[in-house]
Amino acid sequence: MKIIDTANHAVAYAAKLARVEVVSAYPITPQTQIIEEISRLIDEGIMDCEYIPVESEHSAQAALIGASATGVRVFSATSSHGLAYMHELLHWAAAVRLPIVMVNVNRAMGPGWNIWCDHQDAIAARDTGWIQLYCASHQECVDTLIQAFRIAEDHRVIMPVMVNYDAFVLSHTYMKVEFPEQETVDLFLPELDPMWKLDLDNPMTHGSVIYPDDYEEVRFSMQQAHGNARKVISEAAAEYRVIVGNYHGDLTEEFMTEDAEHIIVAMGSIASEAKMAVKQLREEGLACGVVRIRSYRPFPVEELQRVMRGKRTLVVIDRDCSFGLEGALFSDVKAASYGHSDARAYNLITGLGGRDITYGLLAGAVRAAVEGKAETVRWPALRLNEHHLASKRGVEAAWQGRQKRSAS
Amino acid sequence: MVEIRFHSLGGQGAVTLIRMLAIAGDKIGKEVQAFPFFGAERRGAPVKSFARFDDARIDVRSQIYIPDFLVIMSPTLMDLGLSEGLKPDTVILVNEPLEDAKAKYKDINHTLLSVDATSIALELNLEVEGMPLVNIPVFGAISYATDIVPLEVVTEVIRETMGKKNMEVSMEAARRGFTSVLEVNGKAPARRRKPLPEVAR
Repeated sequence: MKIIDTANHAVAYAAKLARVEVVSAYPITPQTQIIEEISRLIDEGIMDCEYIPVESEHSAQAALIGASATGVRVFSATSSHGLAYMHELLHWAAAVRLPIVMVNVNRAMGPGWNIWCDHQDAIAARDTGWIQLYCASHQECVDTLIQAFRIAEDHRVIMPVMVNYDAFVLSHTYMKVEFPEQETVDLFLPELDPMWKLDLDNPMTHGSVIYPDDYEEVRFSMQQAHGNARKVISEAAAEYRVIVGNYHGDLTEEFMTEDAEHIIVAMGSIASEAKMAVKQLREEGLACGVVRIRSYRPFPVEELQRVMRGKRTLVVIDRDCSFGLEGALFSDVKAASYGHSDARAYNLITGLGGRDITYGLLAGAVRAAVEGKAETVRWPALRLNEHHLASKRGVEAAWQGRQKRSAS
Repeated sequence: MVEIRFHSLGGQGAVTLIRMLAIAGDKIGKEVQAFPFFGAERRGAPVKSFARFDDARIDVRSQIYIPDFLVIMSPTLMDLGLSEGLKPDTVILVNEPLEDAKAKYKDINHTLLSVDATSIALELNLEVEGMPLVNIPVFGAISYATDIVPLEVVTEVIRETMGKKNMEVSMEAARRGFTSVLEVNGKAPARRRKPLPEVAR
């Protein structure tokens, strides 16, 4: 079946194809149309699923944890402040090892209030133990969601997976999506075979007190699960390619990297825009390529080490900022390629709060980096215009006035 | 690639329009992309929307700054639309009666076409809460002005996506939009360019 629709609607239908059994969600802002569409599919009898509406995202994640612990396939969706509000339970879901799959539509954090795209919400949830996958097209959103259940439920992994895609740029944009047949999806994604579940005949407890004697081992097992997930993500992508026919890359997707001297690293839809920048730069004589990060956690360490070997320039695009340092992805890419590459490394922090970033702007910023004319960390789309300067002067004037008053 | 930028008011139905336009583009075998940019999401507020059509996969994800076609769905948005970027051969389509457009836009050096979509909507009682639904007549006018999708495909999309209640009247609105496109400034003849090659449907 082919549709022209938004990624939100497409993903709702993909959840149906994945035979999700329980959905729990808080249906109000910053929720997306995914949940609205799923509730419609359930209401019209198209989707056989239990929908639990709750009063907050914190409860939504708690209900997912409860449902998943009974050994059923669960799904939810959230965004920005919703993800932040369930943060405590994100740790919970990962530490008791539940194969929950959730979509996070990447939106900026407030204040200032902003519903548009950046990655700050997911980056802030980076160290919870969730696997984080990022998509760059509508078709990839659908295919990655179906793959996410395979990855989460694989007995070598058993970890929650967060499927990220960009607000508006994908979530509210109409593009073509082709759905595989239900039988094809069933072939790829067998029934959930839970590693453990709550069982009345065999009562046990999960997530209770762990003393210092055991805690570290539990955390080490989570790190091992992420290590295993590297292999499982690649396997899932390869098998999906065979069974369904679509392929968007493994932990990374590479574009024109083979003969490239300069590498752009990015994730999400801006990595797609970066491909356009690469085409333009190649026409201008610069051998550039793109590495798109599909799996941010686990991080594609070996892939980056291999691709960065012998390269001259590294430009990492961040749609987030780790305040007080630099873009979070920039730190990660540098750490991964440490000792494996002598490339000069540059960071573009850009596209925050939905600022529209064109490939022309990216091409210019990459060229400046290649020519050594850029600072290490740069905000290339910054516009310090009269509006911003006036507000800065206003703050300064108010501050000076206050100091004068307190002196007199 | 063909790129269109729309300027409309919240409530005029631009999002429905770009969605139907994308479906129409897909029907003639094009890769399509259509998206709105919302500011304040409310009735009467300016909305920008964008549509792309290409033969190859569309990788670009940013907005459209130098469109091939600029569609102004309310005359109040003409200045805004002009200020947000054009190229020398951008063709402009405005929802405004011909005489008004002729009187107002003497300085515009682009091919300018008019369609009185508001009157068409009012004649056919296409209104939502007192606001004329101009999107369908504009859909028909775009078919004429841009030559991207033929009128038969426009009416086919309307038949498939509209509820029974409004289907017939909407198809009529699209047909009237298609036949009501007029040349405003004589910078170029408002005749259709050569038709696109037949694509397997």
